[in-house]
Amino acid sequence: MMLEKFIGLLFAPLTFALGFLAPLFMQLLDAVGWSTPMASNAIIAFAVTGIWGLLAQLRGSWVWLK
Amino acid sequence: MAEVTSDIDWDALSADELAGLERKIAAKYMQGFPVGIVIWGFANTAIWLSLWPLVLLDIMPLWMAFPIALVNVSAAYLPSHDAQHSIIAREGHKLRWLNELLGHVSLIPFAAPFRYLRYTHFEHHAHANDPALDPDYDVHAESRGQFFRKALARMQPAAAQDEQAYAAALKRIGKEHLLLEAVLIRSFYLLVLFFTAWSGYALEAALLWWIPLLVSQVYIRYYLSWKPHHPGKRTGRYEDTSAFRSVLGNIGSSGMQYHIVHHLYPRIPLMRTPAAYRELRPILQRQGCDLGEL
Repeated sequence: MMLEKFIGLLFAPLTFALGFLAPLFMQLLDAVGWSTPMASNAIIAFAVTGIWGLLAQLRGSWVWLK
Repeated sequence: MAEVTSDIDWDALSADELAGLERKIAAKYMQGFPVGIVIWGFANTAIWLSLWPLVLLDIMPLWMAFPIALVNVSAAYLPSHDAQHSIIAREGHKLRWLNELLGHVSLIPFAAPFRYLRYTHFEHHAHANDPALDPDYDVHAESRGQFFRKALARMQPAAAQDEQAYAAALKRIGKEHLLLEAVLIRSFYLLVLFFTAWSGYALEAALLWWIPLLVSQVYIRYYLSWKPHHPGKRTGRYEDTSAFRSVLGNIGSSGMQYHIVHHLYPRIPLMRTPAAYRELRPILQRQGCDLGEL
């Protein structure tokens, strides 16, 4: 049961968003030299990918296509 | 290899003689050790693995490593496919370990489990184009455009067609324990992505594994499943697949122009299917096979 929960959590879109897309987006922002006084790149990356991941989790799709 | 079919009056042959000749030609191409695919499988994985330290240690630029990784990941499935059919060595042969090792190692870039793919692939061969029993049936689409739309839809979290069809096939043959293998390998893949990303190498992980894997999954489905089985409406030994001419040529289409030879004789090594096809062609024509423009 514990293993099933762990697997379910690992494969969840929100986990992928925060586990991979967030650092990827952060690295991309840093690479292109993006910065804003409003928020750090880390916060922007977490906000954007977190919302995207949450929507993917709720909708079952990353791109509004099923 | 000497041609079995030189100086034959095809129209004078009976159905039994034609079938016998077909088997004789096929048997010729099954002989010998397929050294090329063994080197391909191990070298491909070794090259892909070497990209990681080369990129992370700044020895190779990422823009150069990305296309190499794309080729590596896309080429990872085929050596395992030969191993699935025990082409390198059958059970009981002294080199059986090499067959199984190749199957597992070549699939590392593809992040997929060998035995899970082997047994579901056997079910595909046994039931090609059968909507209820072919685990690859869902890949069918009316047009190329629909195939790509469907491929994108299949990547979404809610899409579970692949897993359900494969799980059902494994359950039917009493091999459902292999699902755990698939989950573990996929979990390992995700954990590697997460770990490398949070270690500051997210872009590297994306271009060495994540994006190449997404692209290669579509590529493999297109050339190994959709194209040679399209339109996927007929079943039967000579009808469930076809030959076709690809705009990418034989290498660019992973040798799948001759997929019909593979379905008729799965133990012919991939690299010998073009020669086998050329010799079998007159027989396949007379058996009513769809040979496209090839």
